[in-house]
Amino acid sequence: MESFITFAIAALTAPLFPGIILKVKAFLAGKKGPPLFIKYFTVLKLLRKGSVYSTSTSFIFKLGPVVSFATALICLLFFPFADRAPIFSFHGDIIVIFYIMGIGRFFTVIAALDTGSPFEGMGAAREVFFSTLAEVTIFTTLILFYRLTGSLSFSEYFIGDNQICLLNASGALLLFVIVALFMVLLTENSRVPVDDPATHLELTMIHEVMILDHSGPDLALIELASFYKLFFYSAFITQIIYPFTHTSSAINGLIFYGILFGIYVSIGITESIMARCKMNLIPQFILTSFALVFFAAILTMGVLQ
Amino acid sequence: MDTFLLSLIVLLAGGLFALLAFRQFNLMKAGYIALSIAGSIIGLSAIRAPLQQGITSTFSTTWLHIFSLSFSLDSLSAFFLIPIFTICPLATLYSFHYMDNTNKKSRVAANFFFLTLLTISMALVATADNIISFILVWEVMSLSSFFLVMHEYHKKDTRKAGYIYFIFTHVGAMFIFAAFSLAYSYTESFDFVSFATMPDNIKIIVFFLALVGFGSKAGIFPLHIWLPHAHPAAPSNVSAVMSGVMIKMGIYGIIRLYARLEATDLVYGEVILTLGIVSGILGVVYALGKHDLKKLLAYHSVENIGIILIGTGIGMIGIATDNMVMASFGFAGGLLHVLNHSIFKSLLFLGAGAVLQKTKIRHIDKLGGLIKSMPTTGKTFLIGSVSISGLPPFNGFVSEFLIYYGAFHGLSLGGSSFIFTIFAILSLAIIGGLAAACFSKVIGVVFLGEPRTKKAMNAPDPEFTMTLPMIILATACIVIGIFPQFFIMTAFQGLQSISTLHAVTTNEIITVADNLAFAARLLLVAFFLSLLLRKIFYLKKTVTSGPTWGCGFTQPSVKMQYTGTSYAMSIIDFFRPFVDIRTTYSGINRIFPGRTTYKTQVDDIAEKALMERIVSPILYLLAKLRWIQHGHIQLYIGYIIATIIVLLLFI
Repeated sequence: MESFITFAIAALTAPLFPGIILKVKAFLAGKKGPPLFIKYFTVLKLLRKGSVYSTSTSFIFKLGPVVSFATALICLLFFPFADRAPIFSFHGDIIVIFYIMGIGRFFTVIAALDTGSPFEGMGAAREVFFSTLAEVTIFTTLILFYRLTGSLSFSEYFIGDNQICLLNASGALLLFVIVALFMVLLTENSRVPVDDPATHLELTMIHEVMILDHSGPDLALIELASFYKLFFYSAFITQIIYPFTHTSSAINGLIFYGILFGIYVSIGITESIMARCKMNLIPQFILTSFALVFFAAILTMGVLQ
Repeated sequence: MDTFLLSLIVLLAGGLFALLAFRQFNLMKAGYIALSIAGSIIGLSAIRAPLQQGITSTFSTTWLHIFSLSFSLDSLSAFFLIPIFTICPLATLYSFHYMDNTNKKSRVAANFFFLTLLTISMALVATADNIISFILVWEVMSLSSFFLVMHEYHKKDTRKAGYIYFIFTHVGAMFIFAAFSLAYSYTESFDFVSFATMPDNIKIIVFFLALVGFGSKAGIFPLHIWLPHAHPAAPSNVSAVMSGVMIKMGIYGIIRLYARLEATDLVYGEVILTLGIVSGILGVVYALGKHDLKKLLAYHSVENIGIILIGTGIGMIGIATDNMVMASFGFAGGLLHVLNHSIFKSLLFLGAGAVLQKTKIRHIDKLGGLIKSMPTTGKTFLIGSVSISGLPPFNGFVSEFLIYYGAFHGLSLGGSSFIFTIFAILSLAIIGGLAAACFSKVIGVVFLGEPRTKKAMNAPDPEFTMTLPMIILATACIVIGIFPQFFIMTAFQGLQSISTLHAVTTNEIITVADNLAFAARLLLVAFFLSLLLRKIFYLKKTVTSGPTWGCGFTQPSVKMQYTGTSYAMSIIDFFRPFVDIRTTYSGINRIFPGRTTYKTQVDDIAEKALMERIVSPILYLLAKLRWIQHGHIQLYIGYIIATIIVLLLFI
């Protein structure tokens, strides 16, 4: 039951956090910024609207938002929040989760191609390329985690005896992982320096350009899916940073959301102090994250033998 | 065994019927298809016992008084017979409306006959139990498929493709002969069973010699060169059988030989794994670079053979290091991927055939928007694409998951095995991502958006005998994805023939299978709930339609759509120098520029290296010996006499 409650809290609070990023960015730019609950207002506004569909599109265009929403939600079902076990969990679920994200991406991409718009095609091509590279970093992380704990599921990583945590014995290796995962988070969720969600020029966008033609509730589903995805990655990093072993669940939950808040703030700071990379530098950026984790994974050969 | 032989006789009857009755075109096709399907159903019923109860049945007969031909049907053979007996009849059913050229009735009949011969010979390859029978049926398989590739022999490209295939398949066969004769010289027996008695160092030589042969059949990089030539040249039903089933005989040869050698050295697994990684990654990269629909699919076969080899390699490393979880799941994933690939690859080739027949266009950048006019082809092709990209809840994911599962359990090893396992996992991740990239390209450019040329407009769905096999195969993709338990168990049953492998307990297999099934069903439930949610959100909403947002541009045209070439270019560029990209650009050099052209072409480095390093020197050398061929018949007779005399002196 408690697992369902933590899941519900996560699903409901996910749209709050991107608002924090906007606030941080506004603060650093010396502006007032939109209200904290702006994303809730956006979603509600979109849900009230109707839609305009391009005459070029087929049923695939309508499937895109549905699949990406469903897959983003499933990822949260398998994720443990603070010290609570996830709703579902089995040995090997991490591989399934990252492949489920893959199918969400696949449908977003073909929905973009369905419009026949050259800009959306451009965005789609970039998305599939960069996400493939990011996948390499993620799987190297999983390799490292298997070396450290011998487990293949989120709940085994973070709940139980053999926890993965920065404060444990092998914490030094996890520093690499945290930095690398933060870079993957920026990539996969189309943040600066990989993508700029706030730009006004379609030519330079990745994710935002793919959803140009979506409107109304379809767009709301896409937005929700992207909030969940960002939440998922931030929570992943949060779990690595701190072991939630306090006896009281409430305190664990508070610390969890505190660290999560910190991660979103740091995303906001990153976005404020960095410019987006040139397109041809992005592979380097992602491969840097890979190099970091790969180094850590190779180190386990010596450290653990 | 009797039922198995009966099925082959029924199949052969179908092929002969096609040859005899070709003047009655429709009757011939109907009778041929009926007999093929009947033969395949009998064949499927014959493999139940060896697969489920592990019973091995044998059949042997003498040939030319001195040789004995022996065939045995065990669980590994039975597993490889599943794709043969399911894909081949579907491909023949497809040919009813696909092969509709009434002007060339006899040629169609010959095609049917050779397809039958190919089916029978593949079934016999999978059961051959000694050197003589194996080599015999292997040759029948190679030759019958050669004639199938040459179906449209009036075209120059086809003749070239057939010639390349002929060379590759026979150079490969030569290596297999060499391997087997070396084995014979040590064991002095034609039986495969005696292979285990060879000394270890000879085993390695035998294995790697045969690997060249089996690898050229399977399409392992860099021996894959014939695939992208032969598949586009062959008719689509033949491509489906060749790519879906025949190349798997190479994999069968590798696994069977490995099992017979009872080898446990680490080097086997490491080499197979490395070949798998190279084939997998470069296969999909070249597939991204190719824009001929069937050529692209041919390169995807190279990629999938890579995945199968990664699984097999993981299995072999598991056996070598006595890590049986790794070994079982690696081999089982590889085997299941053999079945899965035969399903979705033949589905995709059949879909490509339908597109080709209705639009007459091969180049994907000239197609577009086909899903509106060809909904059945489009939807089944979509399912095939998602499956081949290895995404849940479809079948490709099930086998890839098993390989991942095996590979992750190999991470506890130390030393070189650890490094190899890391690369196996990472390359699987890269292959998965790139395959998704490639198939989003194919779906997006061929089936979505707007038609780019007139020919691509209003191409209708093909007739029902062509759509029905596609629907059946697409259903199979979904069924294996959502109910994987039975198929995973079947793959594990196929492994009983590998005596060095002690499979994990049934409970562990069932747990993994149940978890996969659960995840797939959860995904489906979440999908349908989200669909329902969307329906609710759209109640009483105004929905209108308009043109695609052109970012302010008011005169969009279909030519402005993103092409497959530009979609893939940044990814291919990343993989230089393993991919050779040639660009020709005329440039803009006047104030009022004239007609400018820009062209890129992706060349296969293996093919280029073969031409430059091997073919050209040999041609140069042989040109020096051209004087031998002078056209005087009396001197040719002299050559023969001289040869005989020399032979008589020395032997």
